Amino acid sequence: MELYQFPFHAMGCPCELRFYGIKRQHVEQVAMRCIEEAKRFEQKYSRYRSDSVTGRINQSAGTKPVTIDQETRAILHYAGVCFEQSDGLFDITSGVLRRVWNKEQLCIPLETEIEKCLDLVGWTKVKMTADTVYLSIRGMELDFGGVVKEYAADALSILARSASIIHGLVNLGGDISIVGPQPDNKPWRIGIVHPTKAENPIAVTQLHSGALATSGGYERFFDIEGKRFSHLINPRTGWPVDSLLSVSVAADKAVVAGSISSIALLQGRDGLAWLNSSGASYLAVDSELGCYGHLVTGDDEFS
Amino acid sequence: MKTKGKPSPILALTSAALSLPAFAVTQPVETELSIMTSSYKEGDIPAHKVLTGSDERYEIDIHQFHVLTPMGRNWGFSFNTSRETMSGASPQGTVEGLDGQPALIMSGATIRESRTEIGATTHRYFDNGYMGIGMSHSQENDYEADAVILSGEWDFNQKLATLAVGLSYSSDVIEPTDALLFGRVEKENKHSGSFTIGWTQVLNKTSVLQSGISLTKHDGYLADPYKLRDVRPDERSEWAVSLRYRRYAEKSNGAWHLDYRYYEDDFGVHSHTLQTAWHQNLGASFQIVPSVRYYSQREADFYLPFDDFTLPLTVNQSSDYRLSTYGAFTFGLKGIVNHNNWAITASFDRYISAKKYGLSDSEFEHPALVNFTLASIGFDIRF
Repeated sequence: MELYQFPFHAMGCPCELRFYGIKRQHVEQVAMRCIEEAKRFEQKYSRYRSDSVTGRINQSAGTKPVTIDQETRAILHYAGVCFEQSDGLFDITSGVLRRVWNKEQLCIPLETEIEKCLDLVGWTKVKMTADTVYLSIRGMELDFGGVVKEYAADALSILARSASIIHGLVNLGGDISIVGPQPDNKPWRIGIVHPTKAENPIAVTQLHSGALATSGGYERFFDIEGKRFSHLINPRTGWPVDSLLSVSVAADKAVVAGSISSIALLQGRDGLAWLNSSGASYLAVDSELGCYGHLVTGDDEFS
Repeated sequence: MKTKGKPSPILALTSAALSLPAFAVTQPVETELSIMTSSYKEGDIPAHKVLTGSDERYEIDIHQFHVLTPMGRNWGFSFNTSRETMSGASPQGTVEGLDGQPALIMSGATIRESRTEIGATTHRYFDNGYMGIGMSHSQENDYEADAVILSGEWDFNQKLATLAVGLSYSSDVIEPTDALLFGRVEKENKHSGSFTIGWTQVLNKTSVLQSGISLTKHDGYLADPYKLRDVRPDERSEWAVSLRYRRYAEKSNGAWHLDYRYYEDDFGVHSHTLQTAWHQNLGASFQIVPSVRYYSQREADFYLPFDDFTLPLTVNQSSDYRLSTYGAFTFGLKGIVNHNNWAITASFDRYISAKKYGLSDSEFEHPALVNFTLASIGFDIRF
């Protein structure tokens, strides 16, 4: 059995499929189907495309409800549960805050500007029926970014498994879903991205099955007036969060691991305590590069 | 912070994620095809236990074919067929031998017959389970059976638990050969209905417990028409409970299976079955499964070690070894070679039975208690 690797680019990230197989042709066929599926998610939920589901919903904000399919409704429902579980911190309408907090900004935004932006934020302002969704205020925006990439990793993994790939993994920009263990039934060794040095992993973990997602990390900060701000903005205050540097979570599903790690970052200083109460298996890195959690154990020494 | 009684975020989110379409019940996306050939051989009966007839017992060759294919997004269709060809002699009665022990009256000439069965099932898959309906027909020269089966499965609690329910009904017709010649019944009917319910619970990351109850009711002609004297009630109610435990051992890369079943019916038969198997993975492509099964049965209320021809035909009696007191062991070994989309399975079972292996006691051992070997080879492919 041989390992075949398929690097590709989707959803703004470098991605890779690693599948073991006997016949190259079969493995390639499955990989092509998976890459097509990744592109389908990208086109359907990109916030940069006006013809995407996200584009249509956002353009109709404050004017009319938009008809959605079952997949979109299920993703929105899941995002709603994330909102509840995080007491409003994980909010897929909070993307508009990027208008006042971004690296092009020359000075720290005024409180009035933030207030104005916050008026457009709030999951509770999203009205859903069985087959429509409506953003009730003009200027509101949905951003599926925090859910769809992780969910796509799960979906690709399931697709590969249903097409007889027994040993493999799907990596969508660091969100990893295991198709199945390595051929000798050994777990996959997965490097966890160093929050400040992209090239060296900060730790290595072993995964036999399930998924791993990481939030935070390098290149996710910007400086305004000499001060460093996180790209993560608390939708309740409108201010960037003074958070852990990065959080990696292992769970059965990448979509769950991804939301747990995002919520932990949004919790700011309470992130570690929340992670401990979440029931998740995690590795958190704080601003002093201290590592916490029990995701990495035994042989997997920090490097 | 977490409040008491509230599920942890990871549980709440996992539960919510299950409604995402990719995690819906995995209906077949590929066609599965399997063929299997088996050879079943009963050991001959020691000559001193046979009073008349042949001491050669049954040999059966079995060929099975199964195909499962998806139909659209939510439906699956399966078809299976099997053909058995049998030859050998069978016990027709038990009388007292010269040594005071039971001796057999066997059928004389070797019987040759065959059985063909075809069945089809269609499944409708839902987000949290499936429902299926199936029909089957089985044909022998003296026996015909038609059955309809309804089945369903529902997942609960983030798929940590599964409820399975099955209902089946079968209608059988028996037309013994040479009925007039040997004074056998000419044509009789039998109806059976059965209900099963099972609950599978994932206990933790490495273990699963399955429990089940089954209830079956037969009515009609329940005796063996080829026996010299076999009179049985025309109703039989059976019930059984089962427990199955599966534990995956990460370190040794294997899985341990332990199954127990208790069975009882209103013929007075009750039995215990205990089976254990170890599924050992060897590398990526091989699996080897040694297993041992123990069975112990108490005889039916109307079981007689010797046929009593003085009893009126209205009084129940049977000397069928399958209704006697005995115990049995089955030793099995199975090997599986797995490749990307195909697998070859080979298995060998050795079954031995005797009165002394049983937990219940009885005065005489039935001389026809069987020992057999079963060898199978199968091939599966998905495309």
